[in-house]
Amino acid sequence: MDYAELCVTSNFTFLTGASHPEEFVARAAELGLSAIAITDRNSLAGVVRAFRELKEIRRKLKARADEITLTVKQHIDPSSRMPVGETVSIPLAPAARLPRLIVGCRLVLADSPVDFVALPKDKPAYQKLVRLLSLGKQRTQKGECLLYLSDMLEWADGSLLIALPESMEQKAEATDHIAQAHRRFPGYVFTGAAPRYDGSDAAWFKTLAALSHATGAPMVATGDVLMHHASRRQLADVLTCMRHHITIDAIGHLALPNAERRLKPADEMAHIFRDHPAAIRRTLEIAARLTFDLTELSYNYPAELAHGEAPQARLARLTWEGLKWRNPGGIPDRHRELAEKELALVDELGFAAYFLTVHDIIVYARSRGILCQGRGSAANSILCYALGITDVSPDMIGMVFERFVSRHRGEPPDIDVDFEHERREEVIQHIYEKYGRDHAGLCATVIHFRSRAAIREVGKVMGLSNDVTAALSGQIWGISSKGADPERLKEVGLDLSDRRLTQTVRIIGEIIGFPRHLSQHVGGFVITHDRLDELCPIENAAMEDRTVIEWDKDDIDALQILKVDVLSLGMLTCLQKSFDLLSRHYNHPLTIAAVPQEDEATYSMLQRADAIGVFQVESRAQMNFLPRMKPATFYDLVIEVAIVRPGPIQGGMVQPYIQRRQKKAKVEYPSPDLEGVLKKTLGVPLFQEQAMLIAVVAAGFSPEDADRLRRSLASFRQMGTIGEFEEQFVNGMLQNGYELDFAQRCFAQIRGFADYGFPESHAAAFAMLTYVSAWLKCHYPAAFACALLNSQPMGFYAPAQIVRDAREHQVEVRPISVNHSAWDCTLERRADGAYALRLGFRQIKGLKKEDADWLVTGRGNGYQTPEDVWLRAGLMPAVLERLAEADAFADAGLSRRDALWRVKAIRAPKPLPLFSDPIDGEHISEPDVILPAMNLGEQVVEDYVATRMSLRAHPMELLRPKMPGLTLHSALAVTQQRRVSVAGLVITRQRPGTASGVIFLTLEDETGVSNIVVWNKVYERFRRTVMGGRLLKVTGRLQREGVVVHVIAETIEDCSWRLSELGHPMDDAIGITDPKSDDTPRRPKLQPRAHHPREQAKKLFPSRDFH
Amino acid sequence: MWFQRLPSERVLRARPVDGPFAVTSSEGNHDRLYCLNREAESQGLERGMGLADARAYVPDLVTRPADIDADRRFLVMLARWATRYTPHAGLDGENGLVLDITGAAHLFNGEEAMLEDMKERLSRARLSVKIGIADTRGAAWALSRFAPGIVPAGKTSAALGPLSVSALRINEKTATALKRLGLNTIADINALPRATLARRFDMGLIARLEEALGTRGEAVSPLSEPPHYGVRMTFPEPIGLVDDVMAALSRLLETLCLRLKTREAGARAITLAVERVDQTRQDVTLRLARPMRDASRILRLFERPVGEIDAGFGIERIRLEAGVVEALPAEQIGEGGLVEGEALDDLVTRLGARIGLDNIIRFQPVASHIPERGFTENPAAYGRVEAEWRMDHPRPLRLFPPEPVTSQAARRPPSRFSWRRMRLETAASSGPERIAPEWWRPDEAWRTGLRDYWRVDTRQGLRLWMFHTPQAPGWFVHGLFA
Repeated sequence: MDYAELCVTSNFTFLTGASHPEEFVARAAELGLSAIAITDRNSLAGVVRAFRELKEIRRKLKARADEITLTVKQHIDPSSRMPVGETVSIPLAPAARLPRLIVGCRLVLADSPVDFVALPKDKPAYQKLVRLLSLGKQRTQKGECLLYLSDMLEWADGSLLIALPESMEQKAEATDHIAQAHRRFPGYVFTGAAPRYDGSDAAWFKTLAALSHATGAPMVATGDVLMHHASRRQLADVLTCMRHHITIDAIGHLALPNAERRLKPADEMAHIFRDHPAAIRRTLEIAARLTFDLTELSYNYPAELAHGEAPQARLARLTWEGLKWRNPGGIPDRHRELAEKELALVDELGFAAYFLTVHDIIVYARSRGILCQGRGSAANSILCYALGITDVSPDMIGMVFERFVSRHRGEPPDIDVDFEHERREEVIQHIYEKYGRDHAGLCATVIHFRSRAAIREVGKVMGLSNDVTAALSGQIWGISSKGADPERLKEVGLDLSDRRLTQTVRIIGEIIGFPRHLSQHVGGFVITHDRLDELCPIENAAMEDRTVIEWDKDDIDALQILKVDVLSLGMLTCLQKSFDLLSRHYNHPLTIAAVPQEDEATYSMLQRADAIGVFQVESRAQMNFLPRMKPATFYDLVIEVAIVRPGPIQGGMVQPYIQRRQKKAKVEYPSPDLEGVLKKTLGVPLFQEQAMLIAVVAAGFSPEDADRLRRSLASFRQMGTIGEFEEQFVNGMLQNGYELDFAQRCFAQIRGFADYGFPESHAAAFAMLTYVSAWLKCHYPAAFACALLNSQPMGFYAPAQIVRDAREHQVEVRPISVNHSAWDCTLERRADGAYALRLGFRQIKGLKKEDADWLVTGRGNGYQTPEDVWLRAGLMPAVLERLAEADAFADAGLSRRDALWRVKAIRAPKPLPLFSDPIDGEHISEPDVILPAMNLGEQVVEDYVATRMSLRAHPMELLRPKMPGLTLHSALAVTQQRRVSVAGLVITRQRPGTASGVIFLTLEDETGVSNIVVWNKVYERFRRTVMGGRLLKVTGRLQREGVVVHVIAETIEDCSWRLSELGHPMDDAIGITDPKSDDTPRRPKLQPRAHHPREQAKKLFPSRDFH
Repeated sequence: MWFQRLPSERVLRARPVDGPFAVTSSEGNHDRLYCLNREAESQGLERGMGLADARAYVPDLVTRPADIDADRRFLVMLARWATRYTPHAGLDGENGLVLDITGAAHLFNGEEAMLEDMKERLSRARLSVKIGIADTRGAAWALSRFAPGIVPAGKTSAALGPLSVSALRINEKTATALKRLGLNTIADINALPRATLARRFDMGLIARLEEALGTRGEAVSPLSEPPHYGVRMTFPEPIGLVDDVMAALSRLLETLCLRLKTREAGARAITLAVERVDQTRQDVTLRLARPMRDASRILRLFERPVGEIDAGFGIERIRLEAGVVEALPAEQIGEGGLVEGEALDDLVTRLGARIGLDNIIRFQPVASHIPERGFTENPAAYGRVEAEWRMDHPRPLRLFPPEPVTSQAARRPPSRFSWRRMRLETAASSGPERIAPEWWRPDEAWRTGLRDYWRVDTRQGLRLWMFHTPQAPGWFVHGLFA
């Protein structure tokens, strides 16, 4: 008995299907079905998953023919890259054959009571089907598909259509539609009969048989499958509730009455259709007619022909031209050699066009003055250096090109290009324009349920109270993607004997990893020569002017489709702006490549950890590491960038490396073989490539195995497969005479890389930006700070810290002024020839660029009063208020309060034409009012309110007299190592995942910053203070190692209330941290003060409460 | 009077909680803290904070959802209570009361004693309150929030002077704007020329200022009395005939129904009190199946009970009162005849008058696949039938607890079996309809797992609804079709 399941709804029909496509395939293999079709609702998003799973099963079976179990991992949570659920072994009959995968989709038509399952029989049919779906998707908004019967009749030829009438209520219409389809595609239309188990199956089949008789579309059995296993019924019901926004108790008839919509073995189906055996046989006939396979999707890269020049020839020409440009004094032999080798390899593999695409994109970007830089495995080749894709020359790091474009893989090279974050959209639109929307599209990213969303949504459906859901999510700090852990549940006091709760916990575990919707990839472009909408359905993205394909980057990988990553990087914006300032003010035009290399002053600045604003090394951990690492050459920066990352940290590689570097430990290699691999990093593996090479050299991996290992690292999603390599790796190393300990440590590091590790090529590309930004900071601090401020939001620090840092570097910072500032911060030449930094209107909260531009346009000889601005620049009173609040009229001789008072008198949005001339028109004269002058405290608070920083004074300076016994931050470097008390505004608050719960705080006072380490125990005691305080006083031991100074917190006191002593109602504007430098939950934005006059009452009248 | 923690204290009065507690309200997707107890506030939580955040700060926070309506009712109740001090007690915002105690204070031995009395009583009721007594409503408001206590007559301006401008009942934005201009206290703005203020801020500010200082009047509007639905008629001569009573009743009903109509209400229970010349009284209560205010229909329903009244030596006076009143919005009146369903309601009322309204039961559909759960039995007089009966899966007319049948059959119903001491033979059967237990609800009856239901027609003429439990093999009869 044989059966092919032709209608399966996977969980890529979001919030409907209750099993992963992978699970269906594995289950079909277990049941011994002859074929399985994944047919999602108007979508092909799930088929590639199934395809990949089938390929993997096939490979495993081939590899271990003697073993008869098939190991199926539950799923990998892609957000955390952790395996979720347990691994299940499914025994497989020795002679088991694997089911064939049929590609298809369920067409749900807007104007028909009948759904049609469309199964393309060959490639042309597939292409038409994809066009049909693209048509429907582009007609409507993201995530939806609007199709009509007429569309299907036009486009579905070549596909076998199985009509699935819902009920017989609209019998006439259903019959008519099926008949229409049959008339249009004779021999291709079938009537699908799905058992419903509602007691009327026999009658239902009879009705369908009559229907098929009437329409001429033969009857075929289907399961109309929703889950791979009956146990998923609960999940299916929960998904239904989510879809309808109801709780499980209100589900009523929407619930599945039973779990019969599961994948069933052939004999069970045969029993159900015992009166219609032909319907079962027909499934096999249909399956046999469908010859289409996803491997057939021959993918054509655009030819990139230019003026009739063949890609390879053009690539060669450009390469040699580029090398000449790079080496004005003649091409060195080494370069010539490398280039020839790489060109030959590229020719052999036929990737010339890909390099040209990237080249053309970069040429376009350069022509528009957009700064860009390539990275990724293939980017650090001499080709990319010659083509200008990267500026890291082959002399800077060792290049191992063939390892990334390897012969036996036949796999595409990987080049990511970073662009200025503010201008990337231009590049994206250029690509759409150049190749057309039919040929270029962004990849999708599948958004999955993660712990928090799963707990929240399942909890809601299961009717758990907010209290319980919150307790389930536990302490929310950082993202956890493990399901709920029973032990922890007990700790938070949840009763696991409660049935509802255990069910909820189990369903949460199941739902984590379920796809929820498709989103767009950050910048992965698929470009094709043939029509892209014949390869994969294209839909509109949520963002305007973007179109997205349905597959994500792993799917594309599996089908070996090339992708160019067009990414955005804030630092590039900043560099471009710096270069602009340099050429405008200093007459010193520069590019990344032209920045002088190996500059001593720059390195010595980095060695002092003077790195605020410098790319990649400005975080706390990096700043601590810099003085120990003491980078002195470019390659040190490459290591610096790569080492302070979770991969090497978890692999325990940081300490050994730093010991060796500081000459405290001897440099030694585990074996002479590995010396070549590890020499550059003093015997400690730090880069992904080294881990791979160890696998080959020491553990005896075949290049193919090593490559699979690398891919399981690169695409984090397949992390679950890494475990399979562990045994092979460790055993291989033991056989080659390595120590068990070393082998295990090596593997631990490889595992760490799966979390976050850098390949050398990435690190080198980033290090280049690190160096350039450091060089700029070192030599042109004013311009660099100006560019940094103008590129916000980016980087780690808020404008206040950037400004403070600039002032510490003797840059004069001038306040915002209506008569001098522009939207951006600018440089102003001082009498002594140096440049001062003038803050721009962009620092004012709530001011729009357009208004600032009008103000500048109407400035003329300057403004005297707010009325002038109102009349000449036509700004709304609300905007004038912002300006007045930011004290921008100080230059015009108006104090902040006076300016505000005058602005308040302007009520009309626009001047009336008659009175626009104040001298000529009627002028309302009003009595002079003398407002109380602002004290310094109020001024500072006002500054913070308007611009989040103050050039006048630091709040700590004003509060210090009231807080005796504090050590100045600037004094920490020279004080004895003893207990000290420091106080300051919190500027960063972080709990890195790698630091086992330690919290790092950075406090700022008027003299500098201090670094506080809060151990877990102390944190538990001062939890609220640490999380919520804006101004903290910390007492603890001072610890100093070289220039790195820490205070280990013992007691922490929240002094935020003191800020109100500055005497301003909005003191809470001080000490607001940036989300990127603060991991704590956000305080409410909405000021609750409105409901809380009591606070004020306390301040004004202490202790008159009588209750 | 300002009840600063009204919502949380209302909940806590019913269910005391030790430790931090908060009432939350949902705004869109977010739960926010709406009112906290003192413990929670002292732990650093604030009103308006997101619940998730609050929990991160205080993990053992206990919360309840807010019930604005209940808070409102509670406040109205407090206002009623406050009439013990003065008849002029009204609501002030969501959590305050305003009392006009002019001429009432001396009854409590002066304002001070009155204030003490209020505080004491309210603290016994476990409510935290702040009270201000002043010449004007605005000043009292300011005092209650910012400086609880009494301001003697005529000293208002001096007392309010040092208070923050927020005490003026202005919105927070205006208050902040004033403070940013350095105008922190009421005295500050009082000193400014009014015109400059009016130009920059709206007239509301000036109005509030003047109201507080007493240069502009403001009234206290006391809570209105609840409407009373009662009418009566006294006869010049005692009457005794049913027709006379009915005629009188008809007139009274018209007045009553008119009164109900103006308030868009309908009566659920109407009591007719009959007073006889011998000073005895008889009450007749008519309970209605649905709220009504149609005089002629109600009159007809009274026919029977009125016939049972013993008039004795004559009836002197009758009183009619609608005891239970529900909202009944005005509706379009159709052309003659009863609207569908109304006849049934009248029948229910009539039957109810005899056997008691609560004894009339009606089946109502419930959305569930489980047959036992597919319906509920509700009192016919209460609750409308909302859902539709599902007709696609026929259910038997009679359903009883499953009764086992001995049989070894597995996939199809047994051809012979005995049930209730009858030997039955299967003539025809159709099925199975497979129903799995509702996994989210534990149900003892469904412990045997999923059921395959069959309709079985027996040769003996019985049409049974049987099920098989494949997970714990066995056959049961669950119901009887006609």
